[in-house]
Amino acid sequence: MAVRSKVKIKKFSRAQVVFHWVYGSSWFLLMLTGMSFLWRPDPGAAAVGLGPLLQGTVGQSFRLVHRVAAIGLMASPLTWLVGDFRSLWPDLKELLRFGINDARYMLIAPLHYTFGKPALPPQGKYNGGHKVNFYVVVLTFIGFVSSGLLMWFGRGAVPDGTFHMAQIVHSTSFWLGAIMTALHIYLTAVHPFTRRALSAMTQGFVELNYAKAEHKVWVEKEIAAGTAVLVEEPGDC
Amino acid sequence: MGRTATLAAWRPDPGNPKQQVAMLVDTTECIGCKACEVACKQWNQNEYRINQELGTYQSHPSLDAQTWTLIKFIEREDEDGVNQWLMQKHNCMHCSEAGCVTACPTDALHYGDYGVVTLDQEKCIGCAYCEPACPFDAIHVDKSAFRQTAQKAGKCTLCFDRISNAMQPACVSTCPTDCIKYGDRGELLKWAYARVEQLKAMGYANANVYGDKELGGLHELYVLLEKPEVYGLPVNPTLSKRLTFWKYGLQPVGKAILGAALFGMVINWFAARRTFKGGHGPGEEAEAPASLHD
Repeated sequence: MAVRSKVKIKKFSRAQVVFHWVYGSSWFLLMLTGMSFLWRPDPGAAAVGLGPLLQGTVGQSFRLVHRVAAIGLMASPLTWLVGDFRSLWPDLKELLRFGINDARYMLIAPLHYTFGKPALPPQGKYNGGHKVNFYVVVLTFIGFVSSGLLMWFGRGAVPDGTFHMAQIVHSTSFWLGAIMTALHIYLTAVHPFTRRALSAMTQGFVELNYAKAEHKVWVEKEIAAGTAVLVEEPGDC
Repeated sequence: MGRTATLAAWRPDPGNPKQQVAMLVDTTECIGCKACEVACKQWNQNEYRINQELGTYQSHPSLDAQTWTLIKFIEREDEDGVNQWLMQKHNCMHCSEAGCVTACPTDALHYGDYGVVTLDQEKCIGCAYCEPACPFDAIHVDKSAFRQTAQKAGKCTLCFDRISNAMQPACVSTCPTDCIKYGDRGELLKWAYARVEQLKAMGYANANVYGDKELGGLHELYVLLEKPEVYGLPVNPTLSKRLTFWKYGLQPVGKAILGAALFGMVINWFAARRTFKGGHGPGEEAEAPASLHD
């Protein structure tokens, strides 16, 4: 049986970790307070599921929480911008570059993370999955903010068709984001292997062995450049 | 045409909630006295608001969350250059295919007995999805109610509390000219078409019945002297395609894909925990553990 590495490599700054959790907790609150109203498939029938519990004052409280959380979501990028501006451009540059290696990763990953093979192509700091997750986050962020602000402040001032389009954009962003969130949580907190990456978003550090397996290009580059921040601490294994 | 003595005593059958009731406004007999507006405010205990537009006798520019009945005044010249002063009692149309009911996420709006679209304000959360969903601009959420009570939608309920207790709607019972008639929808339609024939015989070529077929059939019917568009009523209104897509297309598809994704993750977990025993990746076992002291 393999012994887990006690050496960890720094992957994210404190500001990036804070940004992730501010964004994530806002999104989670928004998801819970918003999705609970979608379970009313037949308007001719009585509300089912959580529906009856969410009517009236409870529902209005949910609406208030939804709007407060929306402010948190919109403001969350500031934590990264203000807290660690220097890491912004290098990380964005890598996230925005989607090459053949990333495409191959996306094709192979479902099989690899189920059966352990075929082998994945070596990845940088962000693998193809991280990049797709980033694109969905950016896309849904734009969708949520534009349609949400329009529905919040534009009621009565915009044509009915525009309001309905905002509903469609908001819901499409939700379903896209909810599916990605489920996958994101599964891979980082539940999947037997990849859940080892979670420490990167709690402590900022990830096991070096894991990083070598999952982000070989990045680890080698960091070590070669002498910029790798390594720590040794008591492991939990 | 006779007054509504035949309809005045009408009551819906309490044992048959599927019976379709309606109000019929014979706009040719409306004198614009606004007694119906007052009766509506009084019965529903809605707040009085002075909100008069300049240059018209209309009391409010439009319906709002506290104004559920409004007499619209339309001044125009007809094709022959003759001045016309038209009046139309405007309120919720109680559509059979109601946009507001489709859009409401909390069941506050629903199809009630006798074909009435009922609004339970206790259930309303003030999301206002119903506002743009109504092609008649007949339901509103009170934007200014923040400091009073919670923001809630408001609209005509066809006095469901009265009619379900064998009373007539407040506006019907107060109308001095009996131009608002209340009764069985089928009977009212018969009366309306006969009235239109009578008006046409009198020279009103554009007289028509509004509400028979619109949105699956309205429960607020009109005998109009002029074409609906003259009164600002939508011609052949339909449920918004975007709204129906949002409700019946996007949401079921989204739920199905999310369900399939969750199912896939469960399957993956059962397979992956056999593949990645102890959380180790393929080939990781062969490597010596990394250390700062390597």
